[in-house]
Amino acid sequence: MSVRETLQRWRYNYIPDHLIGEILTKRWTDSAIPFLALVITVAGFGTAINGFFKPASLSDSTRQLGEFSIVVTGLTIVMLGGGIDLSVGSIFALSAFAAVSSLFIFDLPVWVALLAAVSVGIAFGALNGFLIGYVRLRAFLTTLVTFIIGRAVYDILVVSFASQVQLSDVTSDLWDYIGDGTVFGIAISVIVAGVIALIAHVALTRSRPGWHILAVGGSRRSAHNAGIKVRQTVFMTYVISGICCGIAGFLFACRLSGAGPGTGLNLEIMALTAAVVGGNSLGGGRGSIVKGLMGAVIVLVMTNGLIRLGFGTGTNQMVLGLMLAVAVTLDIRWLKNRHKVLNEVYVAPIYQRMGETQSAEPNSGSPYALNNNLAQTHYIGLGELEGPEDVILDEEDNLYCGTRHGEIIRFFAPDYKRSEVFAHTGGFPLGLAFDKAGNLISCVGAMGLYSISPDRVVTKLTAETRRSWTSVVDDARLRDPNDCDVAPDGRIFFTDSTKRYDAHDWALDSIESRPTGRLLCYDPKTGKTTTLLDNYLYANGVCIAHGGQSLFFAESWACRVHRYWFDGPKAGQVECVIKDMPGYPDNINRASDGSYWMAWLGMRTPSYDLSLRHPSMRKRMTRRLPQDEWLFPNINTGGIVKFDETGKIVETLGDLSGISHPMVTSMREHKGALFVGGILNNRVGRLPLPNAKPDWTGIRSYWGGAK
Amino acid sequence: MIFDPILDLFRGKAVTIPPLDGAFRPNAELEDADLVLEITAPDNLTVRGGKLLFTSGNDLLELVPGGGTATVLRSFDAVISALAASPGGHLAVALEDGRLSIDEREIKLPNNVTCLTALAFSDDTTLYLCNGSSTHGPGDWALDLMAKNNNGSVWRLDPATGAASKLADGLAFPNGVLADGDSIVVAESWRHRLLRIKGGAVTPLLEKLPGYPARLSAASGGGAWLSLFAPRNRLVEFVLQEDAYRRDMIAGVPRPYWIAPSLASGTSFLEPLQCGGIKTMGIHKPWSPSRSYGLVARLDTAFRPVASYHSRANGVRHGVTSVTEYGGYIWVGSKGGNALLSLSQKG
Repeated sequence: MSVRETLQRWRYNYIPDHLIGEILTKRWTDSAIPFLALVITVAGFGTAINGFFKPASLSDSTRQLGEFSIVVTGLTIVMLGGGIDLSVGSIFALSAFAAVSSLFIFDLPVWVALLAAVSVGIAFGALNGFLIGYVRLRAFLTTLVTFIIGRAVYDILVVSFASQVQLSDVTSDLWDYIGDGTVFGIAISVIVAGVIALIAHVALTRSRPGWHILAVGGSRRSAHNAGIKVRQTVFMTYVISGICCGIAGFLFACRLSGAGPGTGLNLEIMALTAAVVGGNSLGGGRGSIVKGLMGAVIVLVMTNGLIRLGFGTGTNQMVLGLMLAVAVTLDIRWLKNRHKVLNEVYVAPIYQRMGETQSAEPNSGSPYALNNNLAQTHYIGLGELEGPEDVILDEEDNLYCGTRHGEIIRFFAPDYKRSEVFAHTGGFPLGLAFDKAGNLISCVGAMGLYSISPDRVVTKLTAETRRSWTSVVDDARLRDPNDCDVAPDGRIFFTDSTKRYDAHDWALDSIESRPTGRLLCYDPKTGKTTTLLDNYLYANGVCIAHGGQSLFFAESWACRVHRYWFDGPKAGQVECVIKDMPGYPDNINRASDGSYWMAWLGMRTPSYDLSLRHPSMRKRMTRRLPQDEWLFPNINTGGIVKFDETGKIVETLGDLSGISHPMVTSMREHKGALFVGGILNNRVGRLPLPNAKPDWTGIRSYWGGAK
Repeated sequence: MIFDPILDLFRGKAVTIPPLDGAFRPNAELEDADLVLEITAPDNLTVRGGKLLFTSGNDLLELVPGGGTATVLRSFDAVISALAASPGGHLAVALEDGRLSIDEREIKLPNNVTCLTALAFSDDTTLYLCNGSSTHGPGDWALDLMAKNNNGSVWRLDPATGAASKLADGLAFPNGVLADGDSIVVAESWRHRLLRIKGGAVTPLLEKLPGYPARLSAASGGGAWLSLFAPRNRLVEFVLQEDAYRRDMIAGVPRPYWIAPSLASGTSFLEPLQCGGIKTMGIHKPWSPSRSYGLVARLDTAFRPVASYHSRANGVRHGVTSVTEYGGYIWVGSKGGNALLSLSQKG
């Protein structure tokens, strides 16, 4: 092996590139960037400023944070509903003023002051909501107008009444407690903010009105079509935002016992930056309260930190503006390109060196030499069938096969011209087997293991196994159940070919060549599914050996066949019986002479084998070329191989014309004929076998005379 | 998008090829053309004195008028790589090993001219030669492409004296030549374009062809016929950029199974397959990517394509290396499909 190959093997086989793609499929990656920003900000300022995290220093910041995050929570709700609220700063200031004046000028109780503050918030929120929700004005301009008006009113009031507030001799212990007190060491405002955030979070994720807000933000028209009262929902978001501003204003008033010209100044910019930096989409519908809170912490730590480091207001504003710009850009680009990034990074090929193989070329003299016998099959269901991956026959000689429409079709003996839909599974039925009671067991692609009773009742047997500890994407789910067979005691052994790709993308798994296939066992007595073997390169066909104590299974992309003992003295052992075949094996089934039929779904090509030794080339190929142009294993030519108990090749059949059976995924011997299926074919082929036992059937081979 | 140049560093630039559109819109006219003769690898279709000559391997043949047969005029001891007839009836024959003879008189050529891919007379006293490569013979064209060579040249030769002069070099496999007034037009295969050579000046004439151009011949009413012997394929162009893989492929994979253009494909299961070429439900999609294709283009007097004749990915009349007009029909040699075809002109 050359140095280059060794390096490529280390690079691609030991660095788990595939995890990037798997992580990106997770929804929570949306929050990863804001979370990273949060950690960097807090850590950065924490180290840059001495004593940044000292309790004394924190106490004032946390109170501020409490008030601020309440405002951000309100704004987040508005943004989730697809709107924007620029008037939070002026509502906040007016509410604070209302609270202060209620107490200090009119000498009213504290609860009345709170009520006054919240009422101001509700009034302004309702005004916004009415104009935007019902009159259908633009959110941006409307809230800009209320922001200006609110600010103007506040400035007039402050000039007129500020001195009266300062000269007032009213005191209130409760007021001071709310402003300065703590419960278990936590500031009141932080507790209030926490409670509000919790309520908002639960409401948004788990209640009908919350879902309505997200639905309206996601798509106004769809929400309307779904019967959601869009206008009322929009109205409510602004009212909620107003209430939040009112509460925050009240808390602010309690803390400072006054209201000055600077109160609530630039709050709207800070809140907006916080919400967007946290990862809430400006377009609405995407985001969460937690993201808003993360943003609030980032912005507050940033602004306070910059002030402590001695930067002026100008710098502060500039940093906020830049953060907003970056966040908005990221938000839009990420939303637009996430699926592209995922597509480009998901396929993560590894290095694999295929063993030297014997030739399969006709007249090459090797046991694998393909002939043209399969070209002469009699067609069954030509043009009616689409995708008979596996075929099976019952004791009355009727033929069953799956189709890509999710059905199991039954063709009636003796001429197989009439057919009916035997059952509808809803997924692509792949491997088929009959159990002792005559139930048809099927691996349904991307769904699981199903049983269809003779009276056509479809029952799910299993769709999951135990999750492995190191999985990122949940591998308990069966992603590509492929073939199954039933042991004498009723246990069903089946394969799940890959954990990385869905059933219809099965060929992509070959490009990646990452061994993730499993052999599983479903025990009908306990209903439990266990993973017997893992990490095979596309585990495919399964066949219980004639002895009933072991099974053969195919490892497609590695061109190998293994034997696994589930009973008897060698129970639990696995050994490779055939390796380095020139074709990719698929289903395996019993033959009448005590040997086994194996389908080849495709043939190895020298150029593809070489590409397996060039993982970086395959990776670039998946990124730079559209999928239709990718190099694939040659699955336009398949074949059928017969091997005996020891793995010796007895016979090989092929279709070199590529017309009748370009790709063979299954074959079933029945009463002196071989029935041939292909997952990408539109027919089943029937090939007479002159030397086979004319009365041999699979069912009798498995279950004896009884059915 | 403005970030593309930066992002390309990480994700790689997409490999693109010119689409089959406009004058190159696909049809099945080549696939449906009349089969005149089934013969191994017909090539070098040439008209001399009212007769249609062509070659098949070592044989020089003449079509029997009106019949589906041909008579062998002469057999050479090597594969005939190029053929040209002068207005006065002189016949120039080039062989695979680099020998050139005019009217059975061998001409001594300059040392490194050993890959004669195309010949053309402008009059009885001027013969133009395309020397595809100075390192590989005409039969090793696939190797020349995968080695990314560009050491071909174009020559002018006086048949009487044998004096040769070089008109252009540094070309990537010149593979067709046609005299056009006081200049010549040359097909440069590996760069998918036609060049006009006038005096010492080489100027691109028609670029971004969707296939690899081969022989040119004059069309009645002005303009020319151009055969394109293989399609451009994005996987091939990708492999051309993958140096390590290409080196290993040249060294370790038998040539018929390379990821390279081909005159015919689908004959062996050892050939590479692309995803789009998978037969599904009994159908081989005609628009699927393929290593071989049948394509003939009609060019107007300014050498712009105006019409084209196709045999698509699911067809068999692939690998057209020469085309000529004769007796009111268009005669097409499908070298990959082993067929001599005739079709009537469109419109």
